[in-house]
Amino acid sequence: MQTTELLSSYLTDSAAWDEMYADSNVRQQYRCVLEFLEQMSVEELNKKEELAKKMFMSQGITFTVYSSGEGIEKIFPFDIIPRIITASEWRYIETGIRQRLKALNLFLKDVYNSQFILKDGVVPTDMIYSCPHFLREMIGFPVPYDIYVHVAGIDLIRDHDGTFYILEDNLRTPSGVSYMLENREITKRLFPDLIPRNNVRTVTEYPDILHRNLVALSPRQTANPTIVLLTPGIYNSAYFEHTTLARLMGIEVVEGRDLVVDNHRVFMRTTAGLQQVDVIYRRVDDEFLDPLVFRPDSILGVAGIMSAYRKGNVAIVNACGNGVADDKAIYAYVPAMIRYYLNEEPILKNVPTYQLDNREHREYVFANMNGMVVKKTNGSGGYGMLMGHSASEEEIGRYKTEILKDPRQYIAQPIINLSSAPCYMQGRLKPRRVDLRPYALFGPDGVQIVPGGLTRVALREGSLVVNSSQGGGSKDTWVLAS
Amino acid sequence: MLSRVAESLYWMSRYMERADGILRMLRINYASSQDDIQDFSWKPVLRIFSYLDEDGAAAIAPNSRAVLQYMVTDRENANSVLNVVTRARENARSVQDHITKELWQCLNEYYHTIRDGQVLKGLHADDPVSTLDVLIRQGLLYYGITDVTMARGEGYAFINIGKFLERGVQSADILGIKFSDLDFARMDTTYWKYLLLSISGYELYLKTYRSGFDARNVLELVVLNEDFPRSVLYSVRQLQKYFERLKIDRNKEAFQKLDFLIGRFHSRIKYSTVDSILRQGIHAYLNGVREDLLEMGNAFNQYYFAYA
Repeated sequence: MQTTELLSSYLTDSAAWDEMYADSNVRQQYRCVLEFLEQMSVEELNKKEELAKKMFMSQGITFTVYSSGEGIEKIFPFDIIPRIITASEWRYIETGIRQRLKALNLFLKDVYNSQFILKDGVVPTDMIYSCPHFLREMIGFPVPYDIYVHVAGIDLIRDHDGTFYILEDNLRTPSGVSYMLENREITKRLFPDLIPRNNVRTVTEYPDILHRNLVALSPRQTANPTIVLLTPGIYNSAYFEHTTLARLMGIEVVEGRDLVVDNHRVFMRTTAGLQQVDVIYRRVDDEFLDPLVFRPDSILGVAGIMSAYRKGNVAIVNACGNGVADDKAIYAYVPAMIRYYLNEEPILKNVPTYQLDNREHREYVFANMNGMVVKKTNGSGGYGMLMGHSASEEEIGRYKTEILKDPRQYIAQPIINLSSAPCYMQGRLKPRRVDLRPYALFGPDGVQIVPGGLTRVALREGSLVVNSSQGGGSKDTWVLAS
Repeated sequence: MLSRVAESLYWMSRYMERADGILRMLRINYASSQDDIQDFSWKPVLRIFSYLDEDGAAAIAPNSRAVLQYMVTDRENANSVLNVVTRARENARSVQDHITKELWQCLNEYYHTIRDGQVLKGLHADDPVSTLDVLIRQGLLYYGITDVTMARGEGYAFINIGKFLERGVQSADILGIKFSDLDFARMDTTYWKYLLLSISGYELYLKTYRSGFDARNVLELVVLNEDFPRSVLYSVRQLQKYFERLKIDRNKEAFQKLDFLIGRFHSRIKYSTVDSILRQGIHAYLNGVREDLLEMGNAFNQYYFAYA
């Protein structure tokens, strides 16, 4: 191993796959970047890190933490060293996600219409009807082009031998894509010329593809359909993303109070009176969308929007009720779905998953709690999760009691050792655990996956949790063209 | 354009205009407090630009630094520059897709600058004028970026409507206070000089009037001069100009209501003279101006920003 100062404390964990090192050799894809970094002094690199922070701050790519009645702006931590994915790795990921997304979309169509998969006993019926995200309002309603999942964020991790696993399918309102775009813009500024020299594929077409797909969904045959992005408002932590996407697509950002439904059509209130809306890219969850159908106390939604949707007068993206397909308990059945609908073997593997309402599974999990991570089936953001290897006996005991109250709400998975990638920490590169979320867009012309994604990184040493709510940061993600 | 967006642009612009007005007032009044003027007092400033009652104002008025701190960075003062800029930025934040990225970044940087401890330190310990200048320049950057980068559409019209409506209110307010508690015929040159400096009208005054400082001329400049960018007449003309751009067939009723109010106000100002103002009484006249502007603001709320 070379022992330049930058690398002097890069100690990889032999039980984990490292993205940069194979044994003691730097992998081909990282060589160019590493050479470049080694020519720089610590001062220069520190300056780059500072510059990155400043750029996030001045662009307002921030979230607000409220304490003592006053908002404090914070940025999501950004690590300046890019995470690099080779062309062949990407081909594999891409075909795998495409296959999986097709199957999941067919599943949604099936489960809300004929329910063949339930009748054939491939997925247990009670699994569907006990899922809180299964919406009866969606039954028998033909969505445009049979597409439910227009935008998906699929979380991938790598085990110790480098195998990719699917950790989670996000099929409702996946967020983070603005970080994919902004991180790239910032890297361009930090390391001039480095991106073209490495032959990195561009991610900038993402908003164009999304916009094209949205236009195609318009129920009215008009050259200029009105497309809006529905946001919960400026206090939402993803608000920056909503305005960025709207700006890049040239569409309007609206809040629930800007919209009104009249005679099963959706309108927005403008300075020139009401204007009909054709397509809504919503970033508001199902349960808040329509107070007449879902939560009556929601002020984020629009009364009557579901009726307009069901009449086919407005397109909603993503479709409602998708949560039944990315439920963590349903996750275990996705490989079976792929075989059932596509007659293909799954390309990307699932992490083995134990259903805790199955007695055998539960007993096995309870006996091996130390090697397990237990999750709530409808949880997200890393909340309510138990990491068996680091929890105390007492915590485990308490968690078991919780599980026994309602075992359907929990699943368990063996702890997967996430792969590590180099991060810049006070003058040195250090390995930190990462995952990968590529974004797939499903339009009338098929599935397109922009070559890139969001790499989330657990910045704390030894941590395996990458969620931003748990001290995670992000990295620019490079997919190489060759 | 969404009504909510139009409203946010309008308020972003009003708040930025207000911040600029407050800062200019403070800068010149501070300079004047350093000059040896016997009658100098911060009270008029506090009365126009803050919600302090007489006692509250009297308590901090003798201390220039305390006034500056209260007016610029105080979080409790709803009308401090910090709070005004924060509101401008919040409005901008909710319409980021309708303003240019440059404009958003400018406002965002302004916001971070004023919340930075340096400003408070500067007002407290160093030369406050340098600190005020930093802030004023950030505001000028905002005007420049708006001018250079914003598309000349409906949004730009609402930005300018907000700006000139607010400017009209401010000019009327400043005059109202300066003319209120004193027998202005007795006031000396320095008094008028600082008033004019605070609204950048000093040079124009010198070029227009050769006969020294006279309250009648000051009144004429600030209300009736059509070339002075802070005069009431200039403000209403600009307001009218940008309002004309909102004319479309689909919203005839709203347009006619506002068109009537603005036209009537314009005529009132245009066909005033210094003599007619004095005959009516400066106070009654300026109150009329303020009421008319308020009525226009309410009409915008009702007809363009979709308040029921």
